[in-house]
Amino acid sequence: MERLITERGGLRALVWMIWVVFIFCLLFSPRPSGSQTADAFEDNEYCLECHGKKGLEKIFSDGDSISAYVNPMAYNRSVHGSFRCTECHKEFADRRHPDRVFSSSFQYRIKASMLCRDCHSEESLKSRVIHDDLFKKESAGEAVICTNCHIAHATVQIASGNVSTSEEKYCLGCHSHDNQMVFKNGEFISLLVNAAEIRESAHRNVGCSDCHFGYSSEDHPRRRFGSERAYRLSSSEICRRCHFNKYAKVSESIHYSLINVGRLDAPTCIDCHGGHPVSSPGRDRLSVVNKCKTCHDDIFNTYSLSVHGDALINMNNKDVPTCIDCHSSHSMKDPYLSEFHNYIPDMCSNCHSNEIIMGKYGLSTEVVKSYLSDFHGLTLSLYKVEAQKRNWSDKPMAVCTDCHGTHDIISMSGADLQVIKDNLLKRCRTCHRDATENFPEAWLSHHKPSLRFSTFVFLVDKFYSIMLPLMVAGMLFLILLQIWRHLVNR
Amino acid sequence: MSRLLSGNEEYVRRFNLYRIIEHILLIMLFVVLATTGLVQKFHDLSLSRSIIIGLGGIDSVRHIHHIAGGFFVVLTVQHILVVFTGIIFCKWPPSMLVTYKDVLDALHNVRYYMGLLDSPAMCGRYTYKEKFVYWLILLVGIQMIFTGLFLWFPVGMTKYISGQIIPVSKIIHTNDAMLIFLLIAVWHIYDNVLNPEVFPLNKSIFTGYIKKRRMEEGYPLELKELTGAGNEEAPEPGPDPETGR
Repeated sequence: MERLITERGGLRALVWMIWVVFIFCLLFSPRPSGSQTADAFEDNEYCLECHGKKGLEKIFSDGDSISAYVNPMAYNRSVHGSFRCTECHKEFADRRHPDRVFSSSFQYRIKASMLCRDCHSEESLKSRVIHDDLFKKESAGEAVICTNCHIAHATVQIASGNVSTSEEKYCLGCHSHDNQMVFKNGEFISLLVNAAEIRESAHRNVGCSDCHFGYSSEDHPRRRFGSERAYRLSSSEICRRCHFNKYAKVSESIHYSLINVGRLDAPTCIDCHGGHPVSSPGRDRLSVVNKCKTCHDDIFNTYSLSVHGDALINMNNKDVPTCIDCHSSHSMKDPYLSEFHNYIPDMCSNCHSNEIIMGKYGLSTEVVKSYLSDFHGLTLSLYKVEAQKRNWSDKPMAVCTDCHGTHDIISMSGADLQVIKDNLLKRCRTCHRDATENFPEAWLSHHKPSLRFSTFVFLVDKFYSIMLPLMVAGMLFLILLQIWRHLVNR
Repeated sequence: MSRLLSGNEEYVRRFNLYRIIEHILLIMLFVVLATTGLVQKFHDLSLSRSIIIGLGGIDSVRHIHHIAGGFFVVLTVQHILVVFTGIIFCKWPPSMLVTYKDVLDALHNVRYYMGLLDSPAMCGRYTYKEKFVYWLILLVGIQMIFTGLFLWFPVGMTKYISGQIIPVSKIIHTNDAMLIFLLIAVWHIYDNVLNPEVFPLNKSIFTGYIKKRRMEEGYPLELKELTGAGNEEAPEPGPDPETGR
């Protein structure tokens, strides 16, 4: 009986122990995930009671503020959607809400970025080359703020693509901040892209990756350039994908030739058109001149004093030529080549043969015609015909600019005749070294001979214009008479 | 008077070898100068441009024109010197001089061609038409030589003369060229090629001989003078570059 009582007591103890272990396990075993999500939801609901309402703001000591609003839907769709708020915002656990003071939004965001590093280790972040520059900044003592690129409560998995509503918005997530691209030679440029400039640019409807080929929300290849110039030259190559006709012209231009011989400072597409604020320079004629001025400062100074430059710069005259009207915008030739020099009369005639433009200023449109009918113009026009069959003649031929000047063209009206004559003699002597003061008179200064101008030339011309037809008519009359008589005799 | 029998036709000597060679050289120079000159005047024509390209370009065309011009100067100067020397020292008759009779002959022939007279004028060695062509070509040719030199050397020439001489020279030179070209193309070619009396070609300047029948019609006074000498069987006289007699 005693033995039976002892066995019953041991069994009861065993059952008690099993119950204790079961309850212990129940109390201290990990919670199932469904239960955790439910708790997180419950927890987050508590936070969103306030933070889910628009208008809530966090105000800083410097008076700045940021919105404390969290979009519940965006948060739930984000990669952190299954997290409790307090998993990041640890200080707010157990429904506590400490009153924290920050001097500025910047300081706050730095502090917030530190939270990310609790989960995202440095090694995992460095596996993305896009973060390289940020780590360099950080090691140099600069603050790195994750939320500059990754939206705080709407962070989306990078590999999933479509991280933003538009490519531009996605790229600007990082490039709206003043990050830097550092080159091997120590130079650096800002990677900041002004969104407003893009919206104003000619490429406002072009996506970032349309130009920055190979870059996307999924891929951001790492490129290293020796210098800023090497980067800009490389960037200009992008343009040819869409503007191949322009690129082909540029590739035959003097600027491209200079680059080919190592003059890397020669301008490329983006030097003239700009990078992101790309525009058609032709819209603002003054800006064209100013762009060229960047490198050709001395020529700009000369041009600004000329009749054309003065009208453009001081009167915003739209009729006068800018640099590209003569040199062209893309296929600009070496101005010292005869190929360029010999087409100068064609350039000038674009305006000076245009009756509408010349009519505004009371200028004659006969100037080009009178030039082409004279020795130099006639020879040049024939050189052009020959050039279609063989190379240009090496013999230089005077064109408009040889007498009027190139960038320093002055107005002929009101100028001192003697000054013009003296200047003309100097210019004649460039080729005709022994020319005397009489020599420039051989050129009729674009005047059609008349009783007023070049009277002797006019009278001689008139004599022949009357005498020649009369003589031919007389000869024909006598021949016809002779034939008639011969027929009668027969 | 030298005579030649070919078939039933009797020929009379009209030009000696010197004149034949001089005329051939003149033809060659005329062709070269007219071609290389007129293509410059009418440079807009496609034919002109083709010729310019074919001759090696405008610089080559001008070069050829200048060389031919140089030969033309030599030919003209020697002609004048030979004529003056012959008339003054060798007592050649100045048969190319324009006389009052030439004016009368011209008026006579106009009336004849109009049917007012029955017979044409009786001409001597050279008709008034030949004299007209000769003097026009000689005088205009000299004028073209000077204006051509002005255009060829404008810097040198304007050291002494006003620069306006250059455009004036250009007008004179080009219009003179047209004048001579039309004179040759219309008058001279008609008179010696298309004229029914000589058709298909008056070959006397190339062969040196002219048909006696043609001589009787065109130069009766010359024939009369020759036959009036009364020595039809006389041997051919020594070279007389001017008259060929």
